[in-house]
Amino acid sequence: MTVKECYDALGGNYDEILGRFRNEDRIRRFAGKFLSDPSYDNLIKALEEGNMDEAFRASHTIKGVSQNLSFTKLYESSHELTELIRSGQTDHLENALKQVKEDYERTVAAVKQL
Amino acid sequence: MTAWKVVEMSRENENKQKILIVDDSEMNRWILTDMLMDEYEILEASNGVEAVAMIQKLGTDISLVLLDIVMPEMDGFEVLRIMNKYRWIDDIPVITISAESTPDFMERAYEAGVTDYISRPFDAMVVRRRAINTIMLYAKQKRLIGLVTDQIIEREKSNGLMVSILSHIVESRNGESGLHVLHIRTITEILLRQLMKKTDKYHLSKSDVSLISMASSLHDVGKIAIPSEVLNKPGRLTKEEFEIMKTHSELGAAMLKEIPQYQNAPLVRVAYEIARWHHERYDGRGYPDGLKGEEIPIAAQIVSIADVYDALTSERVYKKAFTHEIAMQMILNGECGTFNPLLLECLMESADAVQYELKQDAASQSSEKEIKKIAEEMMQHDDLTTSERNLRVLEHERIKYEFLMSVSNELQFEYTLVPPMVVLSEWGAKRLGISKVIMDPMEGGKLSGVMGEEQMEELSSLIRRSTSDDPVVRYECDFRLSDGTKRVQIVCRSMWSIDRPPVYTGVIGKVLVLS
Repeated sequence: MTVKECYDALGGNYDEILGRFRNEDRIRRFAGKFLSDPSYDNLIKALEEGNMDEAFRASHTIKGVSQNLSFTKLYESSHELTELIRSGQTDHLENALKQVKEDYERTVAAVKQL
Repeated sequence: MTAWKVVEMSRENENKQKILIVDDSEMNRWILTDMLMDEYEILEASNGVEAVAMIQKLGTDISLVLLDIVMPEMDGFEVLRIMNKYRWIDDIPVITISAESTPDFMERAYEAGVTDYISRPFDAMVVRRRAINTIMLYAKQKRLIGLVTDQIIEREKSNGLMVSILSHIVESRNGESGLHVLHIRTITEILLRQLMKKTDKYHLSKSDVSLISMASSLHDVGKIAIPSEVLNKPGRLTKEEFEIMKTHSELGAAMLKEIPQYQNAPLVRVAYEIARWHHERYDGRGYPDGLKGEEIPIAAQIVSIADVYDALTSERVYKKAFTHEIAMQMILNGECGTFNPLLLECLMESADAVQYELKQDAASQSSEKEIKKIAEEMMQHDDLTTSERNLRVLEHERIKYEFLMSVSNELQFEYTLVPPMVVLSEWGAKRLGISKVIMDPMEGGKLSGVMGEEQMEELSSLIRRSTSDDPVVRYECDFRLSDGTKRVQIVCRSMWSIDRPPVYTGVIGKVLVLS
């Protein structure tokens, strides 16, 4: 799978990342490292334990990292989740989390094929 | 990797400027490192506590801090607050790299002293450019400050030299040793520092201290105009002769008043006050103007008391030297004039420092020739400026210390008062099973897992009772290590500043496991 195909599959913005990172080599390296980033696991764990401070930080980190890697879909859903946790609106949390899960899994699946 | 390659690489790293990246996301640190590692040596911290510890340790060796805001343990705003509190931010630029970029947020960050911000997503070109620009700007400013500082030091040196020459001429005509001038200067400086600690009612700054001490050397400049039959008369002065002698304060003041160009120069202004009024008395019965209480400028008040103290404790043709205790008794009894009670307090409180420093003066005078020789030799190596030389020595010591601490299998620690934190040796932290850096260790029982609160209290009171002359403290107690409780001896040394009198700054030490 080429880098462009990977980005298309995970709902990212290939042109944008290439513009910022300058070369595909760098993109490959960091997209690969995304797989070992612990933030997603931290988020799930923190939400299970009801630790909202930690959940906020983890969600915030996913948002930052996916924004940096131009994983646009995951960025959008983690952004929404982060804001919901920040404002304490726990009733809509379920849907937002579902979207993050879906985008995360889709991203991981695509990156693994890179 | 072959050995020479390792050497080559570390040498390369030494010449590179250092950037500290503070972000809790390893991924973000990686991306930034990747973008900057060609030109800079990268240091990483994953939260605010680690960042503060690194800045405290390396200081201006760090050329730039890239700072995330939302982090666990200690967030970016708290890091900025500490950097402001200890004025690190004046020397180390900070760029925020937070994902937050609302106007409110940015305003808060700018107000906390950040130079710039890099918004996410990171753009390789923007990151590099902002880093380069910020570092260049600060480096330029630092070079300028260094230049100006060196120039000021040079000018101060020649100012001081001129004043010394002049006062020596006065003193030698007076048949007194140059020591008197030196003593007055030393006592004046100590009293001023003590006074500054006690009150700010005289609005004294650090530069006032050096100005007044320097000007004190000229207190008797008027004596140059006193006929030598009177000035050097071996026996008691007649009433008329004493009246002539008394004119030296007005004469000195008049001389300083007649200096054509420099009437507004602070040194001349202060020297005038001292020369004219150092024989005034707090009760208004002194000369030449009979000024009373706070009408007498503080500089003159201080030199007056320094003059009396030194006259009493030094040997003169007509008298032997009194001991410190007798001199103090005589001054406090009002046998040698009346003084501002606050200054008497200052003199009593800094008695130890005064006695110690006066001894140093005597020693330094006998070795003056030697110092001059060293100074001349140093001047020949003028390729290195003062500030640079000092920095290199410091840097060398720091590297040495850090290296020895990292390789030793010992439980070493360093406690600094400002900011309040404990740094443990790597091995020590492992042995105790706690983190290497602990902020505010005395608060909230942060160290109670290691030793009992009571013992902690006992140890710190022992340390508080140590002095700069006797700084070593030994203390035995039980200590909880990761492999069980052991009997240990804590050997530590309190650290003191080079101020006079010295100020307590922290503790360094080792924990020795007994049996």
